[in-house]
Amino acid sequence: MGVTRVVSVDRNTRPGIIPILIGLRTTLVNLLKTVFLRGAATVQFPEQKRPTSGRYRGIHLLTVREDGTPKCVACYMCATVCPAECIYIESGERPEKTIEKYPTRFEIDLLRCVYCGFCVDACPEEAIMMSRENDLVGTTREELIIDRERLMERAKLAEYGPGYRPSENDVRRPVRIAALERLKREHGIVPGPPPRG
Amino acid sequence: MPKCTIDGKELEVAAGMTVIQAALQVGIHIPHFCWHPDLPVDGNCRMCLVEVEKMPKLQIACNTAVTDGMVVRTNSDKAVQAHRTTLEFLLVNHPIDCPVCDQAGECYLQDQYMDHGLHDSKVEVEEKVRKRKVVDLGAIMLDAERCVLCSRCIRFEREVTGTNSFEFVNRGDNTQIATFENRPIEHDYAGNLADVCPVGALLSHDFRFKMRVWFLSETESVCPGCSTGCNIFIDHRDAEAQRLRPRRNVEVNRSWMCDPGRTLYKEIAVTERLTGARVKREGGWDGITVAAALDEVAAKLRAAGPAAAFMASPQATNEDLFAFKALADSLGGPLDFRVGGPQRLLRERLDQVLQRKDRNPNTQGALDLGLARDGVDAILKRCASGEVKVLLLQGVELLRDPSHVDAIADVPFVAVMATHEGPELDRPDVVLPAAMWAEVDGTFTNFQRRVQRIRAAFPAPGDARPRWELAAELLRRCGGTLAAASARDVFARLAAAVPDYAGLDYRTLGSTGRALLLQGLAAAEARA
Repeated sequence: MGVTRVVSVDRNTRPGIIPILIGLRTTLVNLLKTVFLRGAATVQFPEQKRPTSGRYRGIHLLTVREDGTPKCVACYMCATVCPAECIYIESGERPEKTIEKYPTRFEIDLLRCVYCGFCVDACPEEAIMMSRENDLVGTTREELIIDRERLMERAKLAEYGPGYRPSENDVRRPVRIAALERLKREHGIVPGPPPRG
Repeated sequence: MPKCTIDGKELEVAAGMTVIQAALQVGIHIPHFCWHPDLPVDGNCRMCLVEVEKMPKLQIACNTAVTDGMVVRTNSDKAVQAHRTTLEFLLVNHPIDCPVCDQAGECYLQDQYMDHGLHDSKVEVEEKVRKRKVVDLGAIMLDAERCVLCSRCIRFEREVTGTNSFEFVNRGDNTQIATFENRPIEHDYAGNLADVCPVGALLSHDFRFKMRVWFLSETESVCPGCSTGCNIFIDHRDAEAQRLRPRRNVEVNRSWMCDPGRTLYKEIAVTERLTGARVKREGGWDGITVAAALDEVAAKLRAAGPAAAFMASPQATNEDLFAFKALADSLGGPLDFRVGGPQRLLRERLDQVLQRKDRNPNTQGALDLGLARDGVDAILKRCASGEVKVLLLQGVELLRDPSHVDAIADVPFVAVMATHEGPELDRPDVVLPAAMWAEVDGTFTNFQRRVQRIRAAFPAPGDARPRWELAAELLRRCGGTLAAASARDVFARLAAAVPDYAGLDYRTLGSTGRALLLQGLAAAEARA
């Protein structure tokens, strides 16, 4: 995509044949440019797709452990932070004693979701991420409430690629930054471990 | 009366009061783990260090008595630095499994880390000392890794229940909390262990993984399980009670409640609840609107006049009982409530902590309101002899006893206000749906004659209505009036009519209730 030129419309132009010809000239110039210089501005969806950013916020996915169980520990952070209240979780007990909790149900209502990505930010386990899949089609509302199995088995993931997900250098979450600033302001304590000695 | 200054606030406190209690009086919260208002002071967690003027070292607020002229600073740089350092030590071996821990949201470690800590751990998660996790102790789940060794549970077992189940085992870094041979906790007060535990080491088995606590709303209420009347919170979400939790009232239950009481929220579950009225016709039950059912009952009552008998329920609130009595008085029929003789058990202890043998919350209220009038046996005799034409029951107590059901076999028309489906509802001719204790405003009077408020946490299912409202509607249809539009109004009428309750209203009752004089029994004796 080249630089877009903003064309202002002069409302004082007198009606007549001249403005129409000016408009037709613009159309003709664009037509010739499209045909001979840079190709079509549209894409042939769904065969073709527009390229999306690596941080694109599309349909969610749940990451999986090596044994095939969800990485999610049902902490409800995503459901708590979700502004659309579209995440429903029920938790159960798993036999491992270090990670004793897991979601028996995990459903996202994709029609309620506003794709803000807060659930990804809130997740302490990097269990929920977003893909770049964005063509959301269904014939009933129910099939767009996707459950745990469909969130884990995302067949189209290879086709679209992963989207918004936690990055390595993004560990200082906003709440903690605000709390650290308060501590510094009120007590002069600098963030970091307490000084020794 | 020593005077002291805490964080610039001057206050006068009772002699012998500790700094942490004095600070709470003026709304200053000193961070702590091991101190609990209803347990003896231990002073082992070292979190509540404060700076006291003219004292060379920081002092623990929980075990330092206020002396005259004391100047205490809880938020000086020195004190705040001490809080941080103490907290860092407590967190050295903490597993930081907050995402799977049910205590998250009401955890002292979390709160105080956000208030005072905010340090990065110097110990890698892999280097931490591993301890036992997910140990099932019956009503309690033990996770020794999360423990901060505050000994609250040990002191609770020692001082309150006298069972001494818990003790520290091993030494140094490997110290952990344990019961002997992993024996389960078997007394009726295990739920309190999860409450006193400031972290997620002891958690309720019943509440395990059920709900994150920040989703819950709390409503102040009173436990309906027995005549003790423990103050509680109903924790609920989306009109569904999730758990019951004790609410501190020094005069009644301090900070405790029993496990049978904690399970009472399960009765409120919407399944098996009555959601509409029904009437017995030839060939079976016929569901009708509550208004139509009330019309039918009122017509029978009007026709019967003094031949109508009334049986109140000690499960009902004072407001329900007052409205029910007004209905009985207007028709002139016999009235009583003492099915099974709850008044004899009213003050009898079931154990040495809280529970009492009378499993009704409001037997005392029913006695105060004068519902012990004609005698249950006398009414049953009249039923058997055919004198009673209509019998109105405020609860299902009478129908649960087969001999009583036989005695009322010949009564032509029986109506009952009930909350749940059950086999006992085969006998009555009309069933009116009643709201339960968590769904109504009202008052209970406990065994000490303390009048305490219960509050509606969420609406009743379907068409179920408070019992006082059902009684008031029947009274209106019989030509009388209660002149009350809410439970508050009914209580105002009640206070005007019953001399002992004179001057009380919902505002003066407050959140911890008001005690009336005990007739014939010293208040101290009842409390002992």
